[in-house]
Amino acid sequence: MQPIELAATQYGHRATFSAMANPCELLVETDDAALARHLGEIVAAEAWRIEQKFSRYRDDSVIAAIQHTTAGNGYEVDSETASLLNFAGSVFTISNGLFDITSGVLRKIWKFDRSTNIPTRKQAKALLPLIGWDKVEWQEPFIRLRPGMELDFGGFGKEYAVDRALQLAEAVSGTPMLVNFGGDMRANRAPTMRDSWDVGIESVSNSLPAGVVHFRAEALVSSGDSRNYLEKNGVRYPHILNPHTAWPVMGAPHAVTVLGPTCIEAGFIATLALLKGRAAESFLASQGFQHHVQR
Amino acid sequence: MNKNIKITTALSAAASALLGVDASLAQETQAIGTWDFKMAALYYTEPDRVDAIEPAISARRQIDTDESLTLKLTLDSLTGASASGAVPSSDVQTYTRPSGSGSYTIGANETPLDDTFLDTRVALNANWERPLGRLLTMNLGANISKEYDYTSLGVNALLSRDFNKRNTTVTAGISAAFDDIDPEGGVPVAFGVMRPAEEEQPRAGSSDDKTTADFLMGVTQVIDANSLFQLNYSFSQADGYQTDPYKVLSVIDASTGSLIIEDAAIGLPRVVAENRPDERTKHGLYGQYKRNIGGDVLDLSYRFMTDDWGIDSHTVDVKYRWDLGSGYLQPHIRYYQQSAADFYRGFLLDGQTPVAGDISSFASADYRLGDFTGVTTGLEYGRKGSQPWSIAIEYYLQSGDEPDGKFGALNDQELYPDVDALMFRIIYDI
Repeated sequence: MQPIELAATQYGHRATFSAMANPCELLVETDDAALARHLGEIVAAEAWRIEQKFSRYRDDSVIAAIQHTTAGNGYEVDSETASLLNFAGSVFTISNGLFDITSGVLRKIWKFDRSTNIPTRKQAKALLPLIGWDKVEWQEPFIRLRPGMELDFGGFGKEYAVDRALQLAEAVSGTPMLVNFGGDMRANRAPTMRDSWDVGIESVSNSLPAGVVHFRAEALVSSGDSRNYLEKNGVRYPHILNPHTAWPVMGAPHAVTVLGPTCIEAGFIATLALLKGRAAESFLASQGFQHHVQR
Repeated sequence: MNKNIKITTALSAAASALLGVDASLAQETQAIGTWDFKMAALYYTEPDRVDAIEPAISARRQIDTDESLTLKLTLDSLTGASASGAVPSSDVQTYTRPSGSGSYTIGANETPLDDTFLDTRVALNANWERPLGRLLTMNLGANISKEYDYTSLGVNALLSRDFNKRNTTVTAGISAAFDDIDPEGGVPVAFGVMRPAEEEQPRAGSSDDKTTADFLMGVTQVIDANSLFQLNYSFSQADGYQTDPYKVLSVIDASTGSLIIEDAAIGLPRVVAENRPDERTKHGLYGQYKRNIGGDVLDLSYRFMTDDWGIDSHTVDVKYRWDLGSGYLQPHIRYYQQSAADFYRGFLLDGQTPVAGDISSFASADYRLGDFTGVTTGLEYGRKGSQPWSIAIEYYLQSGDEPDGKFGALNDQELYPDVDALMFRIIYDI
């Protein structure tokens, strides 16, 4: 197993490790190094488990198995995968089809490497028949995709991992802690040594922090294109893709940060806000979650 | 989809379905794991007067991330003596104990203290905090406390609502308390004269009661990332028996300033039972400013109280929590000043003393109702971590103004001696 690093901090301990191509950490308000290490191992193990099970890069993942089994009834999934697929179906409906786990296929033509490789309209339209959760045959526990379709849990996998990891750690200890996987974070309760968990929000334009968010027992997720975008002739194409047009959502904010009761909820609201483009702010205002938008 | 329909309810249901996979299991584990127990012990001493030991245990159960139940059990054990209200004298004085059986003697020029003062109090508090929505929090509490001569029952409810991206919190609360007083030896007749021990004392019954209603309104405003300000208004109305059944007033000879002797054979001076109004209305204003200074916390507060007994008080409290990394050190200073109640008297004059049973006249020599200034200085040290603990030591010095109208023999006596107290407290997370 990969190592986790443990360090004492002003308020307790910090366990760090790497998962899902992101730096991950657990902040825990305890002087007890053994407890902190134990909690850190639980959190890291859950992150690695989810990464391995649902990775779209691994041949042994559930995602790969689903994509390879397009004959007969399709692939029979376990109960956790079924829960995630049901969630995907719910948010597809809630978002009127904007949040779609089948839109990952667009990566074939949209490679957000900050290059100038913009696909043509024709290339984009050619992929539309492969996109749409409503084209997937999902009869729990069987799922069958059309040949060429892809599934991607990347839209909420990291958020799900944070929520799950915190749940597992909380079952062991009620001490205040914060799980942070690459900027998606959730705390089980307010810290006792200070008034709130204080999180800096990265600025998209320069190295100065864009703000500090104080939160107590909540989740915080940031989403945006600050690192992943294409630019050609002065036009910036954000990595937020509209599954209805196979084209980036032009006019989306650079970054949206949302606080919510769970990471999975905050993350969905943040992503949907980006998908709303110019209407991101009015959408966020109507949802009642605390948020921060960078244009 | 042009309209922004609120989708958070549907989303929340979907998230619960997803994350609730092991919810039943997780909650079972959590129920056991998240009772948090704290133990505290307080030792309080007023040299030559009162010693108190107060152990307490509290248990807090985290029901949900934002729902909790707190239970606290406190045991008070008080031993010692308390100033009875009578004036000191150049002669030895003898007083009858409140029970009416037995007596105690006060040396010449000593403040009369009733040394039979001993009590044990048991108190149980329960508090339930839960959200009533994303921004609304409810706090319900109940408490019961029992001493051998006093029973108190109380309930309270508090609602807090966050506004302005949670930067503003408005709080409103009400509480009610029902007290039963069952004094040792019975409820004294107002201004009844103390009789020698074993004789029948003037008593108006065996018990009495009091009800108190409180109302509180407040606003907390986050000023910036490091500071907040809180402002509260409180209103309190108490009805019923508010006299201290063990406090008396000396009756003084109007020409000499000496004690009138009730029973020369045993040296019992004439003292009468005090009497206070049975209504009291208080208004309070409280402001607090808290500021985080690089990990340290400055906590400043001021309280103004005024009531229809004529007591106005001002409290200024300053704490500075100095962060030491794994622990903290917190010096504390509190300054308290109050004016005397309208009916506060150091003594009563013979011939002007209300007759026994005159419940529409009021007088008390209780030093807590006099003009005084109290200064508390303290230091607390705490450790952080999974098993935090703290110790604190505080010293309190109360200096009062001598009551008005001292004359004759009274000029040789100090009617309002300083009172000081030392407090030692330890809190431990178990």
